[in-house]
Amino acid sequence: MSHHLFLLSPSDTPIYSLTHYSTKLPQTTSSSLSSNLPTWSTSAFAGTLTALSGASSATQSHHVQGGGSVRMGGGQDRHVIQMIANASLDVIEDIMRKESAMYLKSVDKFNEWTVSAFITPGNMKFILLHETKNDDGIRSFFHDVWELYLKTMLNPFHTAHSPIRSIVFDTRVRASAKKYL
Amino acid sequence: MATTSKQYKAIGEDLWKSRTDKINSELFALTYGALVVQLIQDYEDYAEVNKQLEKMGYNIGTRLIEDFLARSSLGRCSDFREVGEVVAKVGFKSFLNITPTVAHSGPPPPSRPTSTAQQSGVPGSSFILTLDENPLAEFVELPDEALEGGLWFSNVLCGVLRGALEMVQMQVQVEFLSDVLRGDESTEIRVTLLKYLEEEVPVGDD
Repeated sequence: MSHHLFLLSPSDTPIYSLTHYSTKLPQTTSSSLSSNLPTWSTSAFAGTLTALSGASSATQSHHVQGGGSVRMGGGQDRHVIQMIANASLDVIEDIMRKESAMYLKSVDKFNEWTVSAFITPGNMKFILLHETKNDDGIRSFFHDVWELYLKTMLNPFHTAHSPIRSIVFDTRVRASAKKYL
Repeated sequence: MATTSKQYKAIGEDLWKSRTDKINSELFALTYGALVVQLIQDYEDYAEVNKQLEKMGYNIGTRLIEDFLARSSLGRCSDFREVGEVVAKVGFKSFLNITPTVAHSGPPPPSRPTSTAQQSGVPGSSFILTLDENPLAEFVELPDEALEGGLWFSNVLCGVLRGALEMVQMQVQVEFLSDVLRGDESTEIRVTLLKYLEEEVPVGDD
C-alpha cells in the first residue's frame, strides 16, 4: 500500500515528491494481474491499469527489487500517478476558493486512489495520493510536512518555490511518513 | 579585586536581562542569512566572502567595544586569560545571549603591560570558544558548493572579536576551527594573541 506525496508551489511547479510504501496494512490483492507482477507493484495499480488499457502491458517489464521506500516507481506507473495528481488540481483550486481550512480532506477519487490535499497559508499545495482512509494520520502527516517545509523555507540558501533537494528534509519527511502512514 | 567566573556570568546575565533591547531572533537570523547569500552571489568566491564577512565584523567590533565597556563598566583585564573569560561570559552573553565555553592554552600570558614592557616577548597564548548554539545560523543548511568552497558562515564573529580587541590594545588573530554547519561536531573559534599594541600618537600631533 503506497502513498504518493507531491508538494506544489502556488504556480503549480513541483517542489518535491515522495513515494512511500507503508507496511502498516496488508496489501489487498483484488485482480488477477497482481499474480504476475512483483508484490510491490501494486495490486493497487492493477485496477487503474486495466482501465487504462494502453498503458498496462508495458509495466510488466519493470521488476524493481525490494519493497522498501523506492523513490521512483516504474516509469508507466509514475505517469499514471502524476496524471491523477494533476487532474485533482482543478478540484483543489475550486475548493480553495470556498474553504478557508487548511486540511481539505479527500478532494478527489480515481478508481482506488483517493487524493487528499492540504493548502498552506502561502498557497502551497500538498497533495497525497493514497488508497486507504486514514484522515487523522494524514492530517498529522500534513502538519508535520508543513513544519518541515517552513524550516526549509527559512534556510537563506533556499530560493522560494524552487525544488527542495535537501537530504535532511527528505529524511525527515520519510520518517514522518513512516510514523503516520 | 579579581572578578571570578561566576561574577562574570552574573554580570552577563544582568546586562542581557536589564540593559538590552531585544529583537526577534528569526528576523536577525534571516537578515544575516540574506546578507551572506547576497555576498556569495556578488563575489562568487567563498574565500573572498569569508574575508568580507570578517571585514564587516571588524567594523562592527571597533564600535561595539565602546558600547560594551560603557554598559558593563568593567575595568581592564589583568591578563589574556581574563580577556577570554570576559569575552565569553559577558560579551557573548550580553549581545547574543549565548555563553560559549572557554578553553585556554598557549604560553603563559604576560603580566599587566606597562608602557615599557612591550618588547618582552610576543605572547602566543590563545583561547578557544566553543559555541553550543549559534543564533546567526538558525535554520541554515549549507549547499554543497559552499561546503567545498570553505565558507565559514558566521565569520563575522571573528571580525567582531578582532576589531573589539584591537580597540583595547590587543592585536589578535581570530579564526574558526570547526562549524556544525559544515558537519563538524562543534562550532569552535580560536582567538590567538599576537601582541599588545602601543598607544599610538595620532598622526600630525608632533
